[in-house]
Amino acid sequence: MAASMFRSLFTTVSSSKWRVKQVTKHNFNDSLKELKTHISDSDFIAISMENTGSSSSWHRVLPFDTPETAYFKATRYAQRFQVLHFAVCPFSVTHSNNLVAHPYNFLLFPRDELKLGMPTYSFSCQTSYLASMARQGFDFNACIYDGISYLSKAQESVAKIRLGTAFPSLRGMKSCSTSTVADMVFVERIRSRIKHWRKTCENTNTSTSTSKDEELISCLRNIILGNEQFRSRPCLTIDVCSERQVQLILEMLVDSSDVLPLIVPGKGGTAQAIRIVLANSKEDKDLLERELQNLEEEENRKFSGFREVIDLISASEKPVISHNCLNDCTLIHSKFIMPLPREVDEFVSSMQMIFPKVLDMNHLMKKIGTARKVTNLPNAISYLNNHFFAPVDMEIPDQATVNEGKIHGLNALRLCYLFMKLCSILKISPSVAESGNKHLAPELEDFTNIFHPYSSNIQEPFNKDIKVWTNNTRKVSCENVVFVWGFKFGQTASMLKSLLRASHNIFSGEFDVKLVDKSCAIVVFWQPGLSKNFLEVMSSEEISGDLKELVSDGMRVTCYETYKTMCRVGLWDMDLAESLERTLESSQCDIENGSVRKTHDIHWYNENVINIDDL
Amino acid sequence: MKTQKLPILALSRALSRALSRALSSSTSAAASESGPAFPVKTVTTANFEATLSELRHHVRASDFVAIDLEMTGVTSAPWRESLEFDRSDVRYLKVRDSAQKFAVVQFGVCPFRWDPSNRSFIAYPYNFYIFPRQDHMGLGPSYEFLCQTTSIDFLAKYQFDFNACIHEEVLKAYDLKLVTIVSSSEGLGLVYCLRKSILTHRIGIWLKQERDAMTSLNSTYDSQWSDVCKLKDARDIPLVSTADILFTERMKNRFSEWRDGLLREQNQEDQSQGISKDSKQQLQVFFFKMHPALRLNGFTSHQLKLIQLVIRKHFKDLSYVCVNSEASDLQQIVVYTDSKDEQNLLLKEVKEENCKAAEMKIQAAVGFRHVIDLLSAEQKLIVGHNCFLDIAHVYSKFIGPLPVTPEEFVTSVNNYFPHIVDTKILFNTNLILQERMKRSRKSLASAFSLFCPQIAAGSQSTDLGSPCHVKVDVEVDDSRSSSWNPGVKHEAGYDAFMTGCIFAQLCNDLGVDFKLHESSQQLALNEKLRKYVNHLYLSWLHGDIIDLSSGVKVGDSSPSQSLKRRYPKIVFENIAIVWGFPSTLKASELRECISKVFGSTSVVSVYHLDTTAAFVQFSKTEQVSDFLLLKETLERSDGPIAVLHPLAKLLEGGNTCAADYDTYKEICSSPLSESLFADQAKAFGIKWKTKLVEYEIAPVYEEHENPSSQSDLNTAVRYAEKAKPNIIDQLRNEPPRRQVSSGIADSYAAEANL
Repeated sequence: MAASMFRSLFTTVSSSKWRVKQVTKHNFNDSLKELKTHISDSDFIAISMENTGSSSSWHRVLPFDTPETAYFKATRYAQRFQVLHFAVCPFSVTHSNNLVAHPYNFLLFPRDELKLGMPTYSFSCQTSYLASMARQGFDFNACIYDGISYLSKAQESVAKIRLGTAFPSLRGMKSCSTSTVADMVFVERIRSRIKHWRKTCENTNTSTSTSKDEELISCLRNIILGNEQFRSRPCLTIDVCSERQVQLILEMLVDSSDVLPLIVPGKGGTAQAIRIVLANSKEDKDLLERELQNLEEEENRKFSGFREVIDLISASEKPVISHNCLNDCTLIHSKFIMPLPREVDEFVSSMQMIFPKVLDMNHLMKKIGTARKVTNLPNAISYLNNHFFAPVDMEIPDQATVNEGKIHGLNALRLCYLFMKLCSILKISPSVAESGNKHLAPELEDFTNIFHPYSSNIQEPFNKDIKVWTNNTRKVSCENVVFVWGFKFGQTASMLKSLLRASHNIFSGEFDVKLVDKSCAIVVFWQPGLSKNFLEVMSSEEISGDLKELVSDGMRVTCYETYKTMCRVGLWDMDLAESLERTLESSQCDIENGSVRKTHDIHWYNENVINIDDL
Repeated sequence: MKTQKLPILALSRALSRALSRALSSSTSAAASESGPAFPVKTVTTANFEATLSELRHHVRASDFVAIDLEMTGVTSAPWRESLEFDRSDVRYLKVRDSAQKFAVVQFGVCPFRWDPSNRSFIAYPYNFYIFPRQDHMGLGPSYEFLCQTTSIDFLAKYQFDFNACIHEEVLKAYDLKLVTIVSSSEGLGLVYCLRKSILTHRIGIWLKQERDAMTSLNSTYDSQWSDVCKLKDARDIPLVSTADILFTERMKNRFSEWRDGLLREQNQEDQSQGISKDSKQQLQVFFFKMHPALRLNGFTSHQLKLIQLVIRKHFKDLSYVCVNSEASDLQQIVVYTDSKDEQNLLLKEVKEENCKAAEMKIQAAVGFRHVIDLLSAEQKLIVGHNCFLDIAHVYSKFIGPLPVTPEEFVTSVNNYFPHIVDTKILFNTNLILQERMKRSRKSLASAFSLFCPQIAAGSQSTDLGSPCHVKVDVEVDDSRSSSWNPGVKHEAGYDAFMTGCIFAQLCNDLGVDFKLHESSQQLALNEKLRKYVNHLYLSWLHGDIIDLSSGVKVGDSSPSQSLKRRYPKIVFENIAIVWGFPSTLKASELRECISKVFGSTSVVSVYHLDTTAAFVQFSKTEQVSDFLLLKETLERSDGPIAVLHPLAKLLEGGNTCAADYDTYKEICSSPLSESLFADQAKAFGIKWKTKLVEYEIAPVYEEHENPSSQSDLNTAVRYAEKAKPNIIDQLRNEPPRRQVSSGIADSYAAEANL
């Protein structure tokens, strides 16, 4: 490695001078080895990715989403779009609070390398998103021509079965104590067969060294007798017709010092035959075993592709730093591990197995007293630079080896920088050394694995920047939230609010209106029970006055539960009103069909409060 | 264009021609002499305006126009691929799905004109890079399109330039929301045409659309101008925070410094600037329409409002204007004017110019649709190669939402493009041409090298002289050439050129005399061509041909015959679709377990849709309903019969669903595209039965299936009864052969009713 270039960054971030190593399929294997050592030496790993699109309008996670609906939205996002580049930056913090970072940017393209229709048949692209990437100089040709492909863990096993290279798992097979007569006969037959075969092998072994003619003869004999060779060692193939037979043969040979049984996989993940290889000695057998293991690993790499990087991060169990933890994690889970589970709880526990600790920078940002979301990392960094004095020294040792002009995947590097800056502002020492091992600081533990961009345990501070009626941190049960649509196009929240206030005395109490998109709004009743009254009034026949006018003009209302059902079922129309309407329609349809919704647990998440602060 | 890297072989022309005849065009490229690259005009935003008028001229003068499209994908899910078991209406639904989901990235247009003086054709190949673009400023949803991984990889194989495609320079096709586009900060694109309104009259709608955009544009500008001139907004800002007060004070000082500097300059000819260096970045000095001005950079909208306030309050001779220049974004500037009159004059001028610039932008935004408009207006004969999907794309992107039935689509297309001819129809339905094609593959490139070997080889000099070969010259930017290196395959411009050449040659072979024809309309009505014009392959696998002018399906004379031999006759009435069974179940096992119940001859064929879905064709129509009924009763009974029943194997896992063929069609019509058909059906079912999901959570999964399969069954029975009240009974008594044929007749009758 070239002499390390030391770049210190105080109050200004000259990120344009940072360089990130770009990895394509050409330099993937070399970079992987490098990355492996960097990951094991690092304290944290920052990740960031760029996709072919982002959720828009109400499809993105909003403050009033419950963890459940937020997860459904993220699921949809993860399933639709494709990752085009994945930036990984392992970094460590030195004693003097210096940052040592090793940024990498992997270009990905889901090329169907195995011709099995994997990893993805098709993906969505958002034109505006691609156009903005093009403006930043993203090289789509490099990505599509040279991007690294991958298979998720689930896809890998499917692919192996379909290609017939899967090794049937033998661990699950317990030796079954009751052996039948048929088993005994089978074992004896195989035993004698192996014995004979060994004998002939030994005979040929002793005779081959004599002369060239003999060699030729033995060669001919091999051809005629059908003797096989495996890696220049004699071998015998025994066809098997059941798992039981495989097990019996393996048990029989378990003590043998020079015979190595190998399973020949057949189609559909079952064993087709057993290949018995005769090694020269115990050492030779070990050598062969190691050789095969390496081969298998190499073979696996062909399947997993970029997923190897995810596996490395996962295996290191280092804390992962991201700036949109929910979206990033659902994406990683669905692209590189397996399809996303139906329920958010399953996802959270599954994610914990992959990345035990994920830190979301958004939550850390909130802690320093700004309601600002880290939607844009450069903005967040410049905000911190302007408001706080917290010098961070960043060292990127591999700068010299990186080509000029390639600056994609900077976000992971920015995340490292932001993280250090936040830690130093909050006076948190990022990692605590404890009996030689580094641990995450207890202050940071609070911020790990929060899979909701808005809800966190930390208290929202007062912020005067936000509009008049939202400058409190009041939370409301979603029971008290009502969706309203069908009002005149172009109406603002305050117009709607005054309209509602004048319409009925339910609105004499405290309530708020917030537009979700141009066609739909939520009404928040601060007094419990009123929402129910409102819904009742709207559907009752005694409706009168201005409210009647509004309903006549097409105003519709529904409870929060409809919204939840809609997210679960996946009705993602462009307009929220349209989706809600369709959800109501189909539930109406079900009631008509006689299938009463008794099987469905209706949860009124009373305990599940939502945050109105960001509305 | 990629130059050939292979060594140039010193082969005689004759040999090279012979080679090219034998090999596909890509290999023949290696054998040809190195010449200039194939000339094709690449069109981007930069040269679009100029190209358009040139193209209009060429199209007007042309005899026919060949087109070709490159898309980001063809099928959105494996089961959406074209299958043998697709009835023509299902096939159309699949094409429709494809055209709705994928984007067009390249559009090749190539007008051909017969040149009587040279006795040759002149081709004008154009290659438009287009890209859908919609800038959403919070209002509309952003436009999304699908990419099929294999298609993208395929394009990459032919060196498609994705950067060029997505790059700013490229023509952006149109997608409404002009208002947003105009108000968006980063310029705008050409957008695909309006999609949602029902088109009664295209010109009317187009004009209306443009007018609407203009109206809303004007209103935006009016309000903006009222903001700017009267400063209503600015008045509303109370200077509450100290930061605001300080900022206002600072700006006031800076502006007065600058203004004083200007005045000093006028008096003393002093070159010194009034602005201190550090503020230069934010306040850039320049001249705006002969007036000294400051360009405001890097202020937030709140700050800009404060600046407006300052200008209005304290500076009578400065004015704050917002300029929407043609080339760039909205610009905020402060201009110095000597007098009040001058100021008013300037403001008026700016307003007019802003409107004009916006108008220009809207004109440009309509963009690529002008080309389609042009092709439609000129009513020329449009030539494509297997172009049903291409036409569907053109329709959905530039004309309107695709209709639900093929008949509606076809009549609508006929209104826009009265004459379309498909080269694939020509050489597959004409017996003589078919004979020539027999041994060749049916791809465009191989047809090209077969029919036009001399053009494919790139050199068609006079020594060829054969009267049976049509001569084609290429003219780009007024320079004509007759020899070139073969172009890049699957580049829309070159593909369109190839298609046109094949058509010209085929016309020649059919004995169409171009010398006698004066307009394209006449060419389309030519006695020898007439029976091919407006016939398109709806399904290539089936050889279903649809007549665009009448909407009637034309029986095919000779489609892929090998297919017909391989598969038994398909009778859609007799087909049941089964999905959700274990993926390990093979077709043979499926056949076996159904045969056990209904008799060994009951199952005609089993065709896998994907791993967990299959079509089962029964020998008798009523077996479909019998099968569905039996399945339903089996699932309802929980006893040992259900376990021991031969069908138990099929029902294993409890997720197996079955329905008649029409359910398949319904599922195909859904806009969703799950990769497995079973998932698709589930997602589709959820649409009108929300309970499905809720039931699924509950442990009683199997129970919920009953109503659905029951209703499927009911619909099946109802359908059968409705469509053919007597046929079921008739069929029962008739010999099997007769049944099959009546079944077909019926399925077509049913189709026609749809």
